[in-house]
Amino acid sequence: MSDNGFVQYHYRDAIGGFFEFPTENARALLPQDLQPIEPHHGSSVLSVMAFDFHDSPVGSYGELILSILTAPRVEQGQPWPRSAFFPFRLATTTRESREHAIERWHLPHYMKDIDLRWDRGDGHVTIHATERGQPIVDMTVTEFEWSEVEHRYQAFMHDDEGFYSSTIVMKGLFSENEEEKGGIVIHTQAMTELLEDWELTTTPFRELWMKNGVQTFHPLQQLASYARR
Amino acid sequence: MATRVEAPASSNVLDYDYSSFFYSSSDDPFAILEPYNEWYNRATRQGYYLFAQPMSTPPAARISLEEQLHNRTVPLLNLSSYNYLGLSYRPEVIEAAKRALDKYGLGAAGSPILSGTMDIHVELEEAIAKFKGKEAAMVFPTGYSTNVGMISGLMRPGDWIIADQNSHASIVDGAILSKANVRFFRHNNVADLEKKLRQTTGKKLVAVEGIYSMDGDVCPLPDIVDVCKRYGARILLDEAHSCFVYGPNGRGVAEHYGLHEEIDIHIGTFSKALGGQGGYVASSRGLYNYLKGFARSRVFSCSLSPVVAAGVLESLKLAQQEPQLRETLWKNVAHIRKRLDAEGVDVGDSTSQIFPVMIRNDRRVFEIGHKLLRAGLYLQPIIYPAVAKHRSRFRVSVSASHTFEQLDEGVSILARVLREEGIIL
Repeated sequence: MSDNGFVQYHYRDAIGGFFEFPTENARALLPQDLQPIEPHHGSSVLSVMAFDFHDSPVGSYGELILSILTAPRVEQGQPWPRSAFFPFRLATTTRESREHAIERWHLPHYMKDIDLRWDRGDGHVTIHATERGQPIVDMTVTEFEWSEVEHRYQAFMHDDEGFYSSTIVMKGLFSENEEEKGGIVIHTQAMTELLEDWELTTTPFRELWMKNGVQTFHPLQQLASYARR
Repeated sequence: MATRVEAPASSNVLDYDYSSFFYSSSDDPFAILEPYNEWYNRATRQGYYLFAQPMSTPPAARISLEEQLHNRTVPLLNLSSYNYLGLSYRPEVIEAAKRALDKYGLGAAGSPILSGTMDIHVELEEAIAKFKGKEAAMVFPTGYSTNVGMISGLMRPGDWIIADQNSHASIVDGAILSKANVRFFRHNNVADLEKKLRQTTGKKLVAVEGIYSMDGDVCPLPDIVDVCKRYGARILLDEAHSCFVYGPNGRGVAEHYGLHEEIDIHIGTFSKALGGQGGYVASSRGLYNYLKGFARSRVFSCSLSPVVAAGVLESLKLAQQEPQLRETLWKNVAHIRKRLDAEGVDVGDSTSQIFPVMIRNDRRVFEIGHKLLRAGLYLQPIIYPAVAKHRSRFRVSVSASHTFEQLDEGVSILARVLREEGIIL
C-alpha cells in the first residue's frame, strides 16, 4: 500500500466469464442507484472472475469474485471507465488478503479460505475453486487474440459504514471473445448459495483472460448519494 | 510496488460503447453530453464512424454518397440498401406518389383514429389483408411502431413474451412497454425455446423473425410452430425482410414453409422489398378492432403520409403482378453466392438475400470499409453491440435491380480488398 492511495496487485493470470441471469435477481442485490447492464431486456450480467496474484501488499494469493455489471458513472473531465461492476461476494486463499480487502476496499467477503487450482491448457484455462475439498465453482475460458492494454473500470462497494467506489486500472496482456466456448459449473456451497435460484446461463457470452499484468486500485471514494435498498 | 499511477493519456475509442455513456455522476441531465460527444467526435475523426452518411441519389445500384470524413461526394456501387425488388424508384411508384401528392397534399394531418384516415389508407389496408389472406390488416407509420404497438397493445403485466435473442429492437421495446415478463431464447434454438416455454404459465406470445437481418439466416419455423402449439403459445412472425421476397406468392417465410395459416400474427414492413415506409399487422378482424384502441404507437402518431401510402400500394401491385422480380432477385442471390464462395468469402449461415461478410475484427472493419469506399463499393460495417464482439462484418443486400455485371464488379472489389487485407487468401 502506498501513502498516495494507489495500490498495485500483480497477477500471472486473471480470467472472467460473463453469464446472463434475470434482472429481478440483480435488482434484489444492487443498491437502488446502480443500474444493471442488460445485454437483453430482463437479463443482467453475472461476472465471475478469478485472479492468481503473485505480488501484492499481502503477498501472493488467489481470489474469486462474483459481481454484477453495472452502468459506470461518467464524470466530466475524467477518463472514461470501460465498464463498472458491483462485487457482492469475494473469496480469497489467505486470511491476510481477505482482511486487507475488507479493511482497505470494503469488499464483501466469504469469510473462509478457499483453494484455487489453475489448469492451463492449450488455448484455454480452467479454475477449480474449492473449500476444504468441497467444490465451489469450476470455470473454463478460452483465448482469442492477445494485445497489450490498459483498461479502466469502476467498482462500487458498500458495507455497514457506507458506499464507495474505486477506479481500477488493469494493465497487461488481454484476450476477450464472445465465441461461447467456455463454461461454468456452480456447485451448491455456502459461497454460491445466493445463486441457487437464479436462472443462470452456464455458457459465458463473453470470456476474458489477462496475463502478466498489474491491477491498480485508485484511492477509495466515499459516495453519499447511494441509498441502500 | 505501489508507485504513483497516472490516468491513461489516451484511450481507444473502440473500448467503449453506448452502455459506457449511460449515466453521469452529475445531477444535470446534460452533463453526459460532453464526455459522450468527446467520444463520438474522436471516433468520427479517427474514421470509426462510417454511419449515417447522406446519399444524394435514390437507393439504386449506383449511388452518390456524401463521404463525411473527407467531405466529398463519391460515386459508388451500392450493395447496402434494403430495396430488394428495386421498387422505391420505379416510375409507376413515383407517378402514384405524385398523383397522391396532388390529390391529398403532403401529410395526413391527424391520428388514424381521428381525422388522419384517408381512403388511400383504407385501400392499402384492404390490399395487404387480401395479399396476406387474412381478415384484416392494420397499417402503422413505421416498421418500428408496428411491433411496439402490436406487442404493447396486446400483452399485459404477468403475461409472457418469449423472443429470439436476435430479435429486432422494435420487438424488444414493445415487450418492455407491455410490462409483461420477457425471456429470450438462444438464436434459432428450438430446444431453448421449449425450455423457456416449459418454465412459464399463463398467456404466452412467442416472437420470431422470418429472416434475421444481421446474419441473413431463416428461422426454423416448422419446429417453432410445433413447440408453440404444444405449449399453447401464440406466434408473432416478423417478416420485415422476408415478406414480398419468400414464398410462391411472395407472402413470406410462413408461406415458403406452408405454414401461413399457423401463424397468429403476421408483421411486415413497407420499407424493405416495397421500397417505401411503414408497417402492417395482418391477422383477424378481432385483433384489428382491439389494436385500433390499444396500439398506442399508432393511435398517438400521425397516419402514414398518403403520398407514401399511394406509393406503397403501387409497389404492392407491382410485386404481385411481376413475380419475375422475385425470380430475378433469387437468380441474383444464387449468382453472388457462387461468386462469393469461389472467392472464399465467409458469409456465415446466410441463406437469404442478406449476406454477412465476416471480418471478425472490430478495428479493421472500419479500415477495410474506407478502402472499399475508395475502391467504389458501398458496404455498411456492422460492429458490436449490433453483433457480438469480434463478429464484425459488412452486410451485403442483394436487389433484383442489380445486374450480374454489377454483382460481379462488387464481388471483385470486395475480394481484392479482402485479399489485400489478408482476410481471404
